[in-house]
Amino acid sequence: MSQRIEVFTLFEDGRAKTLEQNFTPKISGLKKIRVIDVYTIEEDLAQNQIDDCIKSFENPVTQRAFLIEDGKAPANDYESVVGKFDHAIEIGFLAGVTDNIGHTAQELTELTLGEKHNVCSSRMLLINGKLSEADINLIKAALHNPLIQRAAHKDAETFQNDNGMGITIPKVQLDNQGVATDDVKLLDASDEELIKIGKEGIANQDGTRRGPLGMSLLYMQAVQAHFKSLGRNPTDVELETLAQTWSEHCKHTIFASPIDEIKTGLYKHYIKGATNEIRTARGDDDFCISVFSDNAGGIIFDDNWMISDKVETHNSPSALDPFGGAITGIVGVNRDCMGFGQGAKPVLNRYGFCLADPRKDIEFYRGKNKMNATLSPDTIMKGVVAGVESGGNQSGIPTPQGFMYFDDRYVGKPLVFAGTVGVIPRIVNGKPSHEKAAQPGDRIIMCGGKVGRDGIHGATFSSVALDEGSPATAVQIGDPITQKKFSDAIIKEIRDLGLYNAITDNGAGGLASSVGEMGESSGGFNLALDKVPLKYPGMQPWEIWISESQERMTMAVPKENVEKLIALFAKRGVEAWDIGEFTNDGQAKLTWENETVMDMTMEFLHDGIPETPLVTTFTRGGEAEPEFAEPKDHTATLMEMLARLNICSKEFVAAQYDHNVQGSAVLGPIQGKGRVFADATVSRPVLDSKYGAVLSQGLAPRYSDIDTHHMARAALDSAVRFAVAAGADIDHLALLDNICWCSSDEPERLGQLKRAMAAIYHLAKTYRTPFISGKDSMFNDFKGYDADNNPVHIAIPPTLLISGIGVIKDVAQAVSLDPKQAGDLVYLLGETKDECGASEYYDHLGFLGNNVPEMNDDVNYALYRAVSKANKQQLCVSALAVGFGGLGVALAKKSIASGLGMDIILDDALRLDKMLYSESQGRIIVTIAPQDKDAFEKIMSDYPHVQQIGTVTDNPALNINGQVAAATPDLERAYKSTLGGY
Amino acid sequence: MTARALVITGYGLNSEEETAHGFDHVGFETEILHINDLADNPKELDNVQAISVPGGFSYGDDTGSGNAFAQKMRLTLGDSLKEFIARDTLTIGICNGCQVVVNLGLVPAINGEYGARQVAVTHNASARYQCRWIDMKVENKTSPWLQNIETLHVPVAHGEGRFMMEDKTLNTLKANDQIALRYSKNGESANGEFPFNPNGSTDDIAGITDESGRVLVLMPHPERGMFSWQRDDYAALKDKARRDGQALSDNSDGIKLFQNAAEYFGVNAMKKAG
Repeated sequence: MSQRIEVFTLFEDGRAKTLEQNFTPKISGLKKIRVIDVYTIEEDLAQNQIDDCIKSFENPVTQRAFLIEDGKAPANDYESVVGKFDHAIEIGFLAGVTDNIGHTAQELTELTLGEKHNVCSSRMLLINGKLSEADINLIKAALHNPLIQRAAHKDAETFQNDNGMGITIPKVQLDNQGVATDDVKLLDASDEELIKIGKEGIANQDGTRRGPLGMSLLYMQAVQAHFKSLGRNPTDVELETLAQTWSEHCKHTIFASPIDEIKTGLYKHYIKGATNEIRTARGDDDFCISVFSDNAGGIIFDDNWMISDKVETHNSPSALDPFGGAITGIVGVNRDCMGFGQGAKPVLNRYGFCLADPRKDIEFYRGKNKMNATLSPDTIMKGVVAGVESGGNQSGIPTPQGFMYFDDRYVGKPLVFAGTVGVIPRIVNGKPSHEKAAQPGDRIIMCGGKVGRDGIHGATFSSVALDEGSPATAVQIGDPITQKKFSDAIIKEIRDLGLYNAITDNGAGGLASSVGEMGESSGGFNLALDKVPLKYPGMQPWEIWISESQERMTMAVPKENVEKLIALFAKRGVEAWDIGEFTNDGQAKLTWENETVMDMTMEFLHDGIPETPLVTTFTRGGEAEPEFAEPKDHTATLMEMLARLNICSKEFVAAQYDHNVQGSAVLGPIQGKGRVFADATVSRPVLDSKYGAVLSQGLAPRYSDIDTHHMARAALDSAVRFAVAAGADIDHLALLDNICWCSSDEPERLGQLKRAMAAIYHLAKTYRTPFISGKDSMFNDFKGYDADNNPVHIAIPPTLLISGIGVIKDVAQAVSLDPKQAGDLVYLLGETKDECGASEYYDHLGFLGNNVPEMNDDVNYALYRAVSKANKQQLCVSALAVGFGGLGVALAKKSIASGLGMDIILDDALRLDKMLYSESQGRIIVTIAPQDKDAFEKIMSDYPHVQQIGTVTDNPALNINGQVAAATPDLERAYKSTLGGY
Repeated sequence: MTARALVITGYGLNSEEETAHGFDHVGFETEILHINDLADNPKELDNVQAISVPGGFSYGDDTGSGNAFAQKMRLTLGDSLKEFIARDTLTIGICNGCQVVVNLGLVPAINGEYGARQVAVTHNASARYQCRWIDMKVENKTSPWLQNIETLHVPVAHGEGRFMMEDKTLNTLKANDQIALRYSKNGESANGEFPFNPNGSTDDIAGITDESGRVLVLMPHPERGMFSWQRDDYAALKDKARRDGQALSDNSDGIKLFQNAAEYFGVNAMKKAG
């Protein structure tokens, strides 16, 4: 028998009011909603125990809690508190899904009673109003995701007759017949069978398959040949481990493979190549410390500190469960930071979402006959926004910088970027803090959460396109508080005691990845899978090994330190377990109850992967430049441009993300009196140091429709330009690359990729801005059906995100985007060309065009150097890099931010609409105080494209060439209304 | 010698470093102490003059923000917190710390009933987390924390910051001058208007004290607005100072609370005396 505690709120409840507001426009009969928090305790507690629990769950000022037990009447006043209602809906988690509220309720119960009990959470809504079945379904659909949650409904009468909602305890029931490992019969398998195993997974005894290995025939043949030479079949653990380790997600095979004439592959040749050449060229000015070799990249911050950065993607999981995918993305990349070097302290988060238009009702299906529908763009947007909110805010890490980009081709595969910047003293325990290596004899210690079936096949799954067979177990939910506990314990206490030789996080691939990688430095490992703590019994050894259960770190700990380390963790409420040993015998070994279940050489595990030479083709896209009449009303066009999704304000996101925690914010995401959403932010992550970190991001996915070469250059130039405009010094600016591609098995897509990589190689070298970390995600395709059963393949536009991290010596050199005083001079730096191809303007008019923005690298570099110099002298009162929507939008945003106005005259080299909306790169608008005119112009004297285009005015209106005349409040309304209701 | 300040941490509290930085900056000998270490030795409080429960997300706000951490403090520290408050000490609960201290019943403690929950801090009216800068008016002239402060411009960042209570309690708080801080709009009452009152808090309440004024809780974050460079209008202030040929003051509003605490214990005098 179980006990259920229902907590009613007697005062006005913001949660309930907000639900009412959300649903009333869609459901006319809806009168009232109440939200009841429910905690269900699995075991029956004694009366005094349950009384204490109830007290601990209830706020006596505003709430009243009731005990509900089968066959017993609740307290006398239950009926009066419940009162009249028409429908009850309850949302709870499915078995095995992370239930954070339940977890806290369990800890609270343990505190109160001094003993452990299983507690789970759910939420009940009591609704007043005449609702149809369709209304009920609408509410249920909006409030739960059937992949991870259950939703139950009862009308009032049934509720009364049943004495309430009933008691539900979600419990994982694994029907595995005993736990054992199988050999996979591979030695005599035909190619056909090899393909089937690679695609659908190892066969169970009943003929079902375990889920995709994501292994090509070539890989399967390599495995077969290897085990033939050993004279035995692989175990299921071995094959799953190889699938994991060799996955695109972990090995980045597309970037590592020879491609056309480039034998060393795109990554070594272009990305690492650029960094190596830049570091050599910079000589003593090289600021890189640890690049491409760890969970993040690290550069010099100041004399005492190193700053690290890493940006991850979490795309496929976010398509299935946007909240879970996004929260797991952000807390996952936090762990990359903690797993950098000896462990860096997370000090800044950043985010980015590429989504379909949330106002559109687009639906596709993963299966035929309308089976397995995609989530609506609105649901995905709200979910991913909430996921980063929950993960970032609860972790106490400020999340100042981010972006949202919209294109309907992200409908089936949204992109979710999550990044974390960390700081770590350059020297820890007398040694450079970026150095680490597991030593033979070190114990393998895992800390944090226990292992469940979460995210089985996450790594292999993210390496394939989403389709009908996409596994629901790939979905998981992060638990930021469990992670915060060990983060504090490690970064703020244990790290500086020197108790471990190496540390890394458990992300994609779980233990198989973390132990496999750490074992490379010692030369092998021997791990006992039966020592790994489980969330529930019955998991198979291979599942334990590759599970991606969140909130875990792995450490290499000298034997003599193990006891002390585990005790220190325990004092901070963190569990840690000794699960094996790093060795130097060259073998990757796993045991299950003393029986060997995996025994492969480290060499085959890491280097046995067959090389797949790639060939590419390339065809430039684009159309002829369109011919069309200049708009008659330029003011109206500007208003329409400001309202576009890729231009309008994203303040609703920024206001939900805590960007002030840690007290480090200097320039936040919302700037100026008029509150404009900024492209770059500045922070002071070490309170005792005046140094600042400037963060920026750049991307231009639609440019790929014409040429990925220019898409990639625009992404890089934007990231650099945004950072420099905000006060960065181009001489201390590093970049990160996140490559999200599609259909990467097609030569044409690979050709686009090669062009993009060659482009950023050259541009980064000109700017002397090294890449320090990166990540790729190569199959962002949706394959399914439309409502009429027509097969659908939607590929995302090839998307490159470049993130910039700049270091400035004094945060006083930060430059905000808002003009500050009437009479100040407005300068346009940079050249505007007829480059509206793939721009927001052409898209607005329904054109693609051909003239995608191109640029002169050396000219742009000269500009950024000059502006960096002006930044050091604090000459720019305000600066805004020109981005999507061109000059027109940038001038409007500056006016809105200032609350003032501007009188602007642009030259007539181009037709005014093209002048206003061309997206030529390499442009920045600054305002300068009149007394600084000479000093500023002197700094800019070596740069050819400096134009004073107007002045800041007290009159709150933007006037351009007598053609645009817009009151600033009207501009503001246009800029803020599109997403203002979210 | 100097006065000692303790900043409590653990289980998802997260603003301990910047809060400690504030105490440290004004001359306190400051220590960040994990709640489990304090629980091992509650006597530690005997040697401390000021404590802070800082902001954060203890236990993920689950079961009501501050609720589970308050239960942990209640069960592990026993009466030692009440004894601490009974001495001539200062206590400040900020944001999540405010929720914890309210749930512990250490504030408002009307009629000296320390330990009884008398007010609640619940979900924002918008049911949404809000991170933004706000203005507050100081209403209480006697609390040691708030001496010589008229207004405060600091940020809020919370999902559950709405003070709620019975009317009777509200009237008593008013009568006793225990409403310490109210959200304001251009120097006037915010009158419940969003975003000036960011959470729909009853009577625009942003912070309250116990009857002595030595225990202060507030939802906004003074420790994130201690210095000019932290302010949302930093760029504008910097520009103005430059035009006026003046140096921009390092300090901003938030540091004043910490300075008042230092003043209360004569920290500077103690330091000079060595």
